[in-house]
Amino acid sequence: MLDIPLLSLMIFIPIIGSIPVYLLGRLRERLAELASLVITIVVFALSLCMYGSLYVSKEGASFRFVEGPYSWLGGFGVDYYLGVDGLSASLILISSLLSVLVVLGSWDLITEKKPIYYFLILLFEGSIIGVFCSLNLILFYVFWEIVLIPMFFFIGVWGGPRRKYAAMKFLIFTFVGSVIMLLGFILIYLFTTPNTFNIPELIGKIPFWVQLLASAAAFIGFGVKLPVVPFHTWLPDAHVEAPAPISVFLAGLLLKMGGYGFIRVNLGLLAEASKQYAWIFIAFGILTMFYGALVAMVQRDLKRMIALTSINHMGFVLLGSFAGISALTAQGAVYGISGAVFQMFNHAAAIGILFMLSGYIHEQAGTRNIDELKGLRVGMPKTALVLILGSLAGMGVPMYSSFLSEWMVILGAISVNRWYALTVLIPLLTVAYFLWMIKRTVLSPLPEHIHYHDMHNRAMIGLLLYLVPLFLLLIFPSLLLGIVDPLSLSLYQAAGGG
Amino acid sequence: MSADIVIVDYAVIFTVGSLFVASLSLSKRATIRQSLAFYASLVVLAASLAITLLNLSIYLLFEPKPSYTNLFHVDPLSYFFALTVQIVSLLVILSSKNYMWSDRNLAVYFSLLLFSTLGMVLLSFAADLLMIVVAWELMGIPTYVLTGLRKDNPFSNEAAIKYFLLGAFSSGILLYAISLTYGLTGTTNLIAVLQALQTSAIHLDPLTLLTLALFIAGFGLKMSVVPFHMWIPDAYEGAPTTISAFLSAGTKKAGFVVAIRVFVVALPFLSVNWTTAFAILALATMTLGNVAALTQRSVPRMLAYSSIAQAGYILIGFAVATEPAKTLALIGVLFHVFNHAIMQSSAFLAVAAVDRTTGRVSLDSFASLWRRMPITSFALAVSLLALAGIPPLNGFWSKLVLFAAAIQGEMAWLALAGVLNSALSLGYYAWVIKRMYIDEPTGSMEQGKISEPPVISAVLLVATAIIIVVGIYPSLIYDLAKAAVLALG
Repeated sequence: MLDIPLLSLMIFIPIIGSIPVYLLGRLRERLAELASLVITIVVFALSLCMYGSLYVSKEGASFRFVEGPYSWLGGFGVDYYLGVDGLSASLILISSLLSVLVVLGSWDLITEKKPIYYFLILLFEGSIIGVFCSLNLILFYVFWEIVLIPMFFFIGVWGGPRRKYAAMKFLIFTFVGSVIMLLGFILIYLFTTPNTFNIPELIGKIPFWVQLLASAAAFIGFGVKLPVVPFHTWLPDAHVEAPAPISVFLAGLLLKMGGYGFIRVNLGLLAEASKQYAWIFIAFGILTMFYGALVAMVQRDLKRMIALTSINHMGFVLLGSFAGISALTAQGAVYGISGAVFQMFNHAAAIGILFMLSGYIHEQAGTRNIDELKGLRVGMPKTALVLILGSLAGMGVPMYSSFLSEWMVILGAISVNRWYALTVLIPLLTVAYFLWMIKRTVLSPLPEHIHYHDMHNRAMIGLLLYLVPLFLLLIFPSLLLGIVDPLSLSLYQAAGGG
Repeated sequence: MSADIVIVDYAVIFTVGSLFVASLSLSKRATIRQSLAFYASLVVLAASLAITLLNLSIYLLFEPKPSYTNLFHVDPLSYFFALTVQIVSLLVILSSKNYMWSDRNLAVYFSLLLFSTLGMVLLSFAADLLMIVVAWELMGIPTYVLTGLRKDNPFSNEAAIKYFLLGAFSSGILLYAISLTYGLTGTTNLIAVLQALQTSAIHLDPLTLLTLALFIAGFGLKMSVVPFHMWIPDAYEGAPTTISAFLSAGTKKAGFVVAIRVFVVALPFLSVNWTTAFAILALATMTLGNVAALTQRSVPRMLAYSSIAQAGYILIGFAVATEPAKTLALIGVLFHVFNHAIMQSSAFLAVAAVDRTTGRVSLDSFASLWRRMPITSFALAVSLLALAGIPPLNGFWSKLVLFAAAIQGEMAWLALAGVLNSALSLGYYAWVIKRMYIDEPTGSMEQGKISEPPVISAVLLVATAIIIVVGIYPSLIYDLAKAAVLALG
């Protein structure tokens, strides 16, 4: 085991580094941009080391790089306790990667109040990494809430015309969800022996009635973030109003907090309740998928359509994880749970390129309205190319790893109940609305009076970087599944299956 | 050190100090009336704070037994509250340098603040019901005058009258409750009351219930418990804003310490009654406070209702202050009292800074404030987030302890109501932050940067630092509160 506190470094380099970045930015704005790029690249490098070490050791199921538990609020079970397993490691990797790409993308798209913007970006990065590697429920909650503050300001300050409404709605929705989730955590703490908030010590010890109540509380907390359909209404507003780079954070990382919570807490800690009542979660998952796909189809605003795509894709995460935990065979469980993690990873990359693209298109064409965007193939060929490539990632066709993850989730679901095979319709619907969008925007003739300008080569390369992991993982899915599969298997076995 | 000496120290320092400061107002020279009065009050307060810290560290290092006399308890609980109220007084007096400087009666203002602080300190130590009444009045009467200090402002006058009348009622009610207690037990010393209740067969007769109800009503007026809260918004809005901070963060807290002494220490045998009563009061107080705060257009008024709501959270601790959750609940009460004192003074003093420089405190006038007053806006934003209970700020931890105590004390519904109320409260806290940081300024307002009052800014930065430091390192206060609760036995 390494002596360097790698995880703490990944959390606190951005959080503490944000202050000098802000001060540099007050001096010259360009410096803030460069300094935050350097910091995010350093964190990305650290996360690659962490991921690589985990991958080589093939120990995705147990916690590594453990720090602590160091007493924080002694006598109340609150410890500073960090560690990563396959689930955390993959989400941390994508978080640090997206942070680099978002900083790059923001150079073009964010023009005002830069110092404070990059300050908040780094604060966000540090705290979201904290969410993904906390092994103490209260520490987890602390980071979970810190994430809200930068996001509130991102939407409220740099957002579109209805930004104030969207920011307040986002804040209230997610805060209500999280305080209810906190009650669930307190319940777990008080009625489990030993009294602790530490996740590894809680596994398998929580009484069933506490699991039931805590599951309900956690469902609201994580469900708002994921989002699950009755709690989703903040998402389209927040996405549409947020600036494009922030939408990438929102969809790419913030939603993953919900998925992570479901797998870490519901599947890991509340396994028996999750197994017994998996059908409720699965039903919500399927509802979310269909809702997202159908509503996305009728959108006029390109960005709103993409936002609803992510509701659709996040439904897969819910379906996959709970189908996995209640699967009849270990194989089905691995398909379901690993598929859900894989889907989160892929979705983060795919949605990243799509949202960034919507930002560029808005900047270049002055509109995001699908009906008004015409003839992109002729008008802005580079953008059109990236849009097609990105849409393919969103559709989940076998050119990218998103195909694999959706396929795994569906397989996992079928292994629970054959009727779940109906979810195959979802990728079909997704393909349909993406193709329809491409037909209307890219393949339509260019009206004579319109003159677009196209994106720079640097921007195009920046966007294509999002597709690298998707491509890589299609060919070598074991790069991710190698450390996620053992975790899925151990979750399944801990829940009493196989 | 015997209890009497400790108390005599405070009494002498404060009495001599305040009389001296008051006599300065006779001087014809403005510098003496202002600067000397200010620095003299600071010296008095610094001396008493030093004594408190010294005694507290002696106590904690050598761990003596709590000492009693007939009138006073000296235990960590008393020090905890004495420390809290003195910190609040210090913050308020410092901020007055910028806020009240031009007032003609500045020396009297400081002198009254010191007297009221003495009252609160005595209240923290008081162990006899009669002593409680004396200290209660010493704390209360100066604040009636302070609330009405702006003689030419009708709002200030109205606030003072309303506050005075209700305050007088509360004293009367309290005295009545005490005379009933004396009638029931034959003593006014709290320990003796406890012993008398243990041995005698007095339990649930109507007279006991009446006594309890009168105690709750008497203390409730200061603690801003619904339905005794009506004076709060008017008083906080009409009083000079520094005094609002003093009332909300200081004198209100003194209500809680006597409530702990009376209900938890002296009357535990009547637990069945008062816990339910407190649970209902807690629910009503926080809900009404938050709902009313949502609709306010003036920031001091909004903070007043928020202060009522916060009292509701503290009452959760009282509602479950019986076994099995007693320790946790009382720790939560003390912890939240401390945190609330800091957060609320920070918020009110930030508003005082805005009031001082722009002369306007309506919610609309806060639009885009961060451009003009960055330090004030930052401090206000942090204190509001802390009040809402966003981690890692101090308010989060004490609410966490309170809600955990509620669940442990089998009042999970109260914890649920508490978190929903927290969520509701974020609605108006975040609204102010939105005004300050996100909204564009409305047309007619000045856009230039305002030079922020230096002393208030410094005070705000210190308060913000305390909020953040306690948030990151909560054990600091938690352990102290725990020691205080464990020493209660």
